[in-house]
Amino acid sequence: MRAKFGTYQPWITLLARLTLGGVLLVAGALKVGNLQKSAMAVRAYELLPTAIANFLGYVLPWLEIGLGLLLILGVAVSISGLFGAIIMFAFIIAIAQAWARGLSIDCGCFGGGGPIDPDETKYLSEIIRDIGLLGVGIFLYYFPKGRFALDK
Amino acid sequence: MASSSGDKGTRNLLIAMVVFIVAVGVIFSFISSRSDSTAAIPAAVSESDGYGIVLNPTSTPTIDVYIDYQCPACRVFEIINGGYLNEVIAQKKAKVVYHPMTFIGPESILAANAAACAADEGEFVDMNLALFQNQPQGENSGKWQSEYFVALGKSIGINSNTFEQCVNDGKYVNWTGNVAAASAKADVNGTPTIKINGKALDRNTEYGDLGKFRAALAAGGVK
Repeated sequence: MRAKFGTYQPWITLLARLTLGGVLLVAGALKVGNLQKSAMAVRAYELLPTAIANFLGYVLPWLEIGLGLLLILGVAVSISGLFGAIIMFAFIIAIAQAWARGLSIDCGCFGGGGPIDPDETKYLSEIIRDIGLLGVGIFLYYFPKGRFALDK
Repeated sequence: MASSSGDKGTRNLLIAMVVFIVAVGVIFSFISSRSDSTAAIPAAVSESDGYGIVLNPTSTPTIDVYIDYQCPACRVFEIINGGYLNEVIAQKKAKVVYHPMTFIGPESILAANAAACAADEGEFVDMNLALFQNQPQGENSGKWQSEYFVALGKSIGINSNTFEQCVNDGKYVNWTGNVAAASAKADVNGTPTIKINGKALDRNTEYGDLGKFRAALAAGGVK
């Protein structure tokens, strides 16, 4: 069993890198073109002071792109996986608190964001997706060595 | 051994490049999101009112209206409550400040520019209504260009050359960035957002019902 995992692990790591890296890269790329909207999406969580929310709205898309590139290229995989997991954890907290407080917002994960109709919210599926990605990030932290990576 | 140190060099170079991209991106984002103090601003605009277009500057209370001309919910708001709001403006029952936001994209910027040009002609209220009445289906459809706004202006009686030039030159395009920056500071999370004396109305109940909208304004001091 252990030997078998040893054989497959580098391929699982490759798949994990492409999944988390791909999602982060796309999410960031969809947001950098409209940073006004990105900052607005962060403000709509009503969690952080306005100035910090705006700051995060401008910075987050670029961080996602950076992490996505590192994971796809297979550079600094362990630490990038850990950062990816931390980001996902923060997203889960943010979405869950919006849900619990009865806000009606789009998560703004892939652009968009801001207030929407109460019956259009998708909190549960957003949280489940982010929990999955959190797991992928943790896996990469512990098993960073995979196929087609620059890390050796 | 040589190949392994070569790999390490490539790896470090890639990390440096990614960090560089992120850093340049972040710096660029901050510079482009700051307000531009050299931007031309319409005569009715006041910096202390968040760069909004101010109608009835000496009346009280103050109503702030944050809209994006391409936002469908703003169109619905205008259809339901615009008539009453224009009556409030005409009878000087409140100071009304319009903040045309532009997060939906390039055609929102051109529309906000056209509205500002109309404000210079004293025709903001009519232009605001005409823009919502002629909101295209879909965002940035290609329909809202300078020629369109010049023609729209003519249809409500703005025939001056200054208006046409203002629209064609995109005179107030940079001003829309200032409105966006000020609206971000004012914690406006979506459009439409209506504030009376700085307090936002309830998005879920008071925008979609004229009776409740009137009641909310009355509670804020609109007689």
